[in-house]
Amino acid sequence: MSAVAIPAVRRESLWSKAAWKLARDRTGMIALAFVLLYMLVAVGVTAGWWAADWSEVRGGKWEAMSAAHWFGTNLIGQDIFARAVYSTKTAFEVGLVVAVLATVIGAALGAVAGFFNGSWIDEVLLWLMGVLDSIPFYLFVAAIVFAMQDNPYAMHIAMISTFWTSVGRLIRGEVIKLRGLEYVEAAHAISVPEFVIIIRHILPNTTHILLVQATIMFVSAIKSEVILSFLGLGVKDGMSWGLMIAESSQEVMAGFFNNFLAASVLMFGLVMAFNMFSDALQDALDPRKVG
Amino acid sequence: MEILQYTVRKLISGIPLVLGVTLISFLLMVYFGPDKTYELLGKNPTAQEIAEVRTQLGYDQPFLVRYVDYLRELVTLEFGNSDSTGEDVASLLARTIPISLALTGPGFVLGNLLGVLLALFAAFYRSTWVDKAIMASAVVGMSISFLIVIIAFQIIFASSYGLGWFPVRGWSVHSFGDYLSYVAVPTMAMVFVALGYNTRFYRSVLVEEMTRDHVRTARAFGVPPAKLFYKNILKNSMIPIITRVVFSIPLVIISGSLLIESYFGIPGVGKITYDAIISGDQPVLKAVVGLTAILFVLAQLLTDILYRAVDPRISLK
Amino acid sequence: MQADTQPLLSVRDLVIEFTTENGVVRAADGISFDVHENETLGIVGESGCGKTVTGLSILGLIPSPPGRVAGGSIRFMGRELVGLPDSEMRNIRGRDISMIFQEPMTALNPVFTVGNQMTDVLRRHRGLTRRQARDAAIEMLAKVGIPVPAKRIDEYPHQLSGGMRQRVMIAMALSCDPKLLIADEPTTALDVTTQAQVLEQIAGLQSEFKMAVVLITHDLGIVAETCRRAIVMYCGRIVENAAIERLFEAPRHPYAKGLLESIPRLRRERLDELPIIPGRVPNLLHLPPGCRFAARCPRADALCREQSPALVPAGPHGDFIACHHPHPGQQAEPAA
Ligand SMILES: Nc1ncnc2c1ncn2[C@@H]1O[C@H](COP(=O)(O)OP(=O)(O)OP(=O)(O)O)[C@@H](O)[C@H]1O
Ligand code: SF4
Ligand SMILES: [Mg+2]
Repeated sequence: MSAVAIPAVRRESLWSKAAWKLARDRTGMIALAFVLLYMLVAVGVTAGWWAADWSEVRGGKWEAMSAAHWFGTNLIGQDIFARAVYSTKTAFEVGLVVAVLATVIGAALGAVAGFFNGSWIDEVLLWLMGVLDSIPFYLFVAAIVFAMQDNPYAMHIAMISTFWTSVGRLIRGEVIKLRGLEYVEAAHAISVPEFVIIIRHILPNTTHILLVQATIMFVSAIKSEVILSFLGLGVKDGMSWGLMIAESSQEVMAGFFNNFLAASVLMFGLVMAFNMFSDALQDALDPRKVG
Repeated sequence: MEILQYTVRKLISGIPLVLGVTLISFLLMVYFGPDKTYELLGKNPTAQEIAEVRTQLGYDQPFLVRYVDYLRELVTLEFGNSDSTGEDVASLLARTIPISLALTGPGFVLGNLLGVLLALFAAFYRSTWVDKAIMASAVVGMSISFLIVIIAFQIIFASSYGLGWFPVRGWSVHSFGDYLSYVAVPTMAMVFVALGYNTRFYRSVLVEEMTRDHVRTARAFGVPPAKLFYKNILKNSMIPIITRVVFSIPLVIISGSLLIESYFGIPGVGKITYDAIISGDQPVLKAVVGLTAILFVLAQLLTDILYRAVDPRISLK
Repeated sequence: MQADTQPLLSVRDLVIEFTTENGVVRAADGISFDVHENETLGIVGESGCGKTVTGLSILGLIPSPPGRVAGGSIRFMGRELVGLPDSEMRNIRGRDISMIFQEPMTALNPVFTVGNQMTDVLRRHRGLTRRQARDAAIEMLAKVGIPVPAKRIDEYPHQLSGGMRQRVMIAMALSCDPKLLIADEPTTALDVTTQAQVLEQIAGLQSEFKMAVVLITHDLGIVAETCRRAIVMYCGRIVENAAIERLFEAPRHPYAKGLLESIPRLRRERLDELPIIPGRVPNLLHLPPGCRFAARCPRADALCREQSPALVPAGPHGDFIACHHPHPGQQAEPAA
């Protein structure tokens, strides 16, 4: 039994060491602060504290920046700042839903594949991952959007179904590695059921990988959402930076850049902060990282 | 002979992948996809007319028969005619694929070469300010959306609000000079977007190899830096590099060109794919999906053969 | 020190530092020793005491970052090596000074044949043609006891056993007739029979090639058999430097004495596998102010805990010791 307890200790020290390291990483903490700020903005939008009037026409066509309209107005006189702020919520929602679900699905299926490594279950799951990775992403999304008859979550589902494979492969590899370790064999020897071994002893030892992967997928989801919405395959009702950029692609040729800049700058800020936070997290959690 | 046998075996083992990709996309796009019957009919069709059109579209056939038909199309490369333009899909692809290759080729190659170069600098000056500056720029580059880069570069290099050096959009190429002027902005955008990711990837691969024992051994025997780089570092990092480069080729051709071509109005595969997505042009979509799957199988085969060429420890099993 | 002959290698006050996440670590601190022509000098000590970094620093191979030579001097044939530009250092590496590494399994480039790697060295340092280099390589491989060398030369490292790979390393190291060979635990990774063969080979080749050897090892038995003089390191410092007879018969430093008292059961075993002296090696990041061995030393007193003992000459025969209260030597020391 004592053999089974060892990893818990190792895990704790990994986490406390990582937290300590992360807290000392200045750029990482600044990035985290920015992410939290964006999150607050998104929560505020959801709660209706601000940007609730993003779809109202409140001014004339292409007004310049002013106290009333911080980033001016668009073609039909809607406030660009409100629309950009509202889009933060859209981005966060897509990022969170996709990152969390793809991580959970990837962890579950990856763990199953790894645990049944060598059997037909593993073969089938590997095949599925290979297949999903080989379908062109935009086509896949389009196909799901069509098949789901304009369901607003079609885009989310399409991203989740393709994003989970990278987590799945990583976790599969890790589980194969962990399965050979002593304490798992010890648990086997005292005939703990296999799914209990996976859930209690193996998956907890992969959480650091999952955390990092989730942050990476969050960023990918936001970036994909913007491009898909721009292409007309993403957000349909609601507002998104991608839709703003789609609007602006006509405007910029006429010399009106506010819509484009507002969406680009806000999006860049969030993605950059998240990328930096993700890097800091990886640095903190990677025990073998040197120089 | 051995290599031929191996190739055949590999291609056969790629069949499940092609079947999987085609099955899933067939299910999604054709079976659950939009019903085209009424688009082809006039007002108030009779039951007779409806049945005729459905037979013509093959909707009255059982699922399996329709799927096998699709596979047969894939093997014979006879995909029928495009729903929207009526053009033969095979000749449509034959016309557009070379354009996409010409469009994305330079950006893909340059993005990788510059990435290796920057990564080398960063790795060589590891932990100094040079490294930190390069890697910080890489993160900035990775954080700017492809979409934003395309639009910004178009404004800066092609529009009257910027430098106005290149055509704003389109692809009327009649000479090499035309080609250069039309390919310039897309290439710059592609390089800009790929550079951050590539630099990070190559740096981590190079640093990993640079810290290996055999590199230290070579240094201990006086091997000069250029030879050290080629024989110990580059040759040993070829496996991850080959994997990344080869597997990104199918993606660059289809996904990478989709956004650029539809934005710049360039008639390549990406553009016709996008148009087909928007108009639900199934013959085109089926062809593109099927061919991408085959490209992936070929990429897998190519990587396996290249692995063996660069690493004596890997044998054809 | 033998004042009449100039030492081949002379290391003085060498300091090697590594920058780690938790601070700067001094992996070697004030290392001084000489190596004379044709001499075999042993360096012994527990794992992590700084043997490898000392060896690497002679060839300017401290991995940087995170490491650097932070002070001191290394003179080889009268020439200062610390701070020598890499381009000049390259002419010394593999030609005047060679090194054999601890890890035979990973020390060779896996994607080139043995012959390719060996001829590279021969062509660079001895200016041989491809053909001549190949012949010379085959001859060297035969010398280190590799059967059918003309066939083995075209094999890749993964096709050879660990013992074979180490022999290839030795062949490569000796192929340019170096004046100094640094052998960093050349046999630790090998099985016992192979160990003995490889060591015999090094000894045989040493007398054939007339070179000096710095033999880094855990194994005091090997030191006793092969070295004239040995250095005992502890925690980044030299604690004793003495001729083999004196070191083995009457070690003066309490740490050296502790090590040697356990010799009968220690032959052929790694020092770090058997804790022979009670207590633990201090962490290089949190070193005590005084003697680094004080916490484990039976002779420690207040002075030891406050003041670090310097490495000073002991006796008339070129021995050195760093201890406030050394054991008496073999016989009463004549007043210096
Ligand atoms: N690359 C490195 N980064 C950080 N510290 C290092 C590095 N290499 C060595 N050190 C430090 O230098 C000390 C001495 O290492 P060295 O490899 O010389 O030990 P050693 O005596 O050869 O041990 P062993 O018998 O295990 O080979 C280590 O304890 C470690 O703290
Ligand atoms: S100086 Fe003191 S503590 Fe250190 S070894 Fe000598 S007697 Fe022991
Ligand atoms: Mg060592």
